[in-house]
Amino acid sequence: MRSPIRKTMDIVAVFLVAIYLAPIYWIALTSVKPMSDINSKKPVWLFDPTIEHYAEAFVRFEFGKALLNSSIIVFSATFITMILALIAAYALARMRLRGADVLALFILSLRFMPAVVIAMPFYLMFLKFSLIDSHIGMIVVYVGYGLPFAVWIMRGFLLDLPKDIEEAARLDGLGWISIIRRIILPLSGPGIAVTAIFTFVFNWNEYLFALYLTQADAVTLPIQIAKMVDAYTVLWGTISASVVMQLVPMVVVVFLLQRHMIRGLALGAVK
Amino acid sequence: MRLDEGRVALFLVLPTLIILIGLAIFPLGWAGALAFRVENLFRPDIGKWVGLRNFKYLLTDDTFWKSIRLTLIWCVCVVSIQMTLGFLFALMLDTRARVVGLLRTLIVIPVFISPIAMGLTWQFMFEPVTGVINYFLELVGLPGGTWHTATDTALMAVMIADIWQWTPFVTLILLAGMQGISPEVVEAARLDRVRGWKYLTNIVIPLIWPVVMVVLLLRLVDSIRIFDLVFVITRGGPGTATLVASVYDFTIFQAGRLGVMAAYGFLILIVINLVVILFLRLLYRQEKEARQVQKA
Repeated sequence: MRSPIRKTMDIVAVFLVAIYLAPIYWIALTSVKPMSDINSKKPVWLFDPTIEHYAEAFVRFEFGKALLNSSIIVFSATFITMILALIAAYALARMRLRGADVLALFILSLRFMPAVVIAMPFYLMFLKFSLIDSHIGMIVVYVGYGLPFAVWIMRGFLLDLPKDIEEAARLDGLGWISIIRRIILPLSGPGIAVTAIFTFVFNWNEYLFALYLTQADAVTLPIQIAKMVDAYTVLWGTISASVVMQLVPMVVVVFLLQRHMIRGLALGAVK
Repeated sequence: MRLDEGRVALFLVLPTLIILIGLAIFPLGWAGALAFRVENLFRPDIGKWVGLRNFKYLLTDDTFWKSIRLTLIWCVCVVSIQMTLGFLFALMLDTRARVVGLLRTLIVIPVFISPIAMGLTWQFMFEPVTGVINYFLELVGLPGGTWHTATDTALMAVMIADIWQWTPFVTLILLAGMQGISPEVVEAARLDRVRGWKYLTNIVIPLIWPVVMVVLLLRLVDSIRIFDLVFVITRGGPGTATLVASVYDFTIFQAGRLGVMAAYGFLILIVINLVVILFLRLLYRQEKEARQVQKA
């Protein structure tokens, strides 16, 4: 029994959200518009869709290379981060460890560090080890960048599991490796998925470290896209095509996560 | 034979700790040391210890003070608008209706898109002559703006983009808080005929207050260190119109003045730490009070 006011508000909400996302439709629309229609003073709504901007992004602006770089760097970094975070979070959340809360807080506090402060020492270090503009260097940086949040959010999920499962399983005669493999891992599936995806998203969108530490061989997508603006004429068609290609995976991610994402964000923020 | 659990646990946390010390604490210490040195990226031969000279230099630099002022304006405007709008959206979406579930998913999309992609999108829409925003403004009879291209409107334009991107984050977390209010409380309020404005101020806001504080903290910290979005839309310009702290710090790096850059970075870090400590204190005190109320 919902009141008419509530119902009206729900309808208003649908409209507001639809309008709110307008910038995203606009850029998607622009990415398939013919060149001549993009810069017209009056927005053109009907046109023959084209994929020339997408092709242009690959041919003229090495979009493919940046995509490959981003994929290599972000997947590797996320994978390594997850392994470390899982192990550490398990110890912090579910084992008798003195000072576990303090340690967890210390790890979380690193998340507040402004990237501007540590990017430059990284630059100097990388100069020394000739890691500037290398995939390995970027993977290393992103592991450090994503780890604090990943440990924190994973710990939140693990703390939420019922308290005595391990003890109960032990009484049933399971060793601790099989406890983790057969009980903890399956139960924390959603938590692992959410943590991995968040880590992935942060890395995928990261800009500042990449700006300092890449030049040509290891440039990631955000860098490559931002570079297109520097070109002598700003090609909005090509830029919007690249923007769309960069954001599509993130929209897919949002839909994959759905409910879990809200819980994940809340956990990461609140716990 | 059973291993001591505490030791095993420590052994499991150790890799993470070592990596974080190497990749966060060590660079931080390095930056800290650089703040007290003259160090030039292009002239490595002139490095030397200079005590507080970098800090003194900053304090007498007008652009430094301007960047501080811009960052302050940025934080106050952006965070207050995001909190207000985010709260209103959360109220609107705090219902059980089916379609609203889908809306919750849709509204969060901006949070997941890179500030670079969104910054360029806004820049495109802001274009004074060909941009779609001015087109619609003029369509309804309003004058179009100069947005990011003029000194007096650039900051506002970038703020709009940031507010658009991060308001959903506030909404989502406040929403999680609102939905965490137990059904008994909601039911009791209904029986006592506490409704509308009173329900909001006496029940909802006090109950989600800790969540509000946490979101406020996260938004504040992110606003103090704002970089990507401003950098991609305006590079701090036109002139110095949007030269917020991190962007100015980056231009100092580009000029090769590592010592000054590190000093400024450290000031930003100190401010962030003060904010975090202040908030944690407030939260802690609230929790204590809440517990005492429960006991009474």
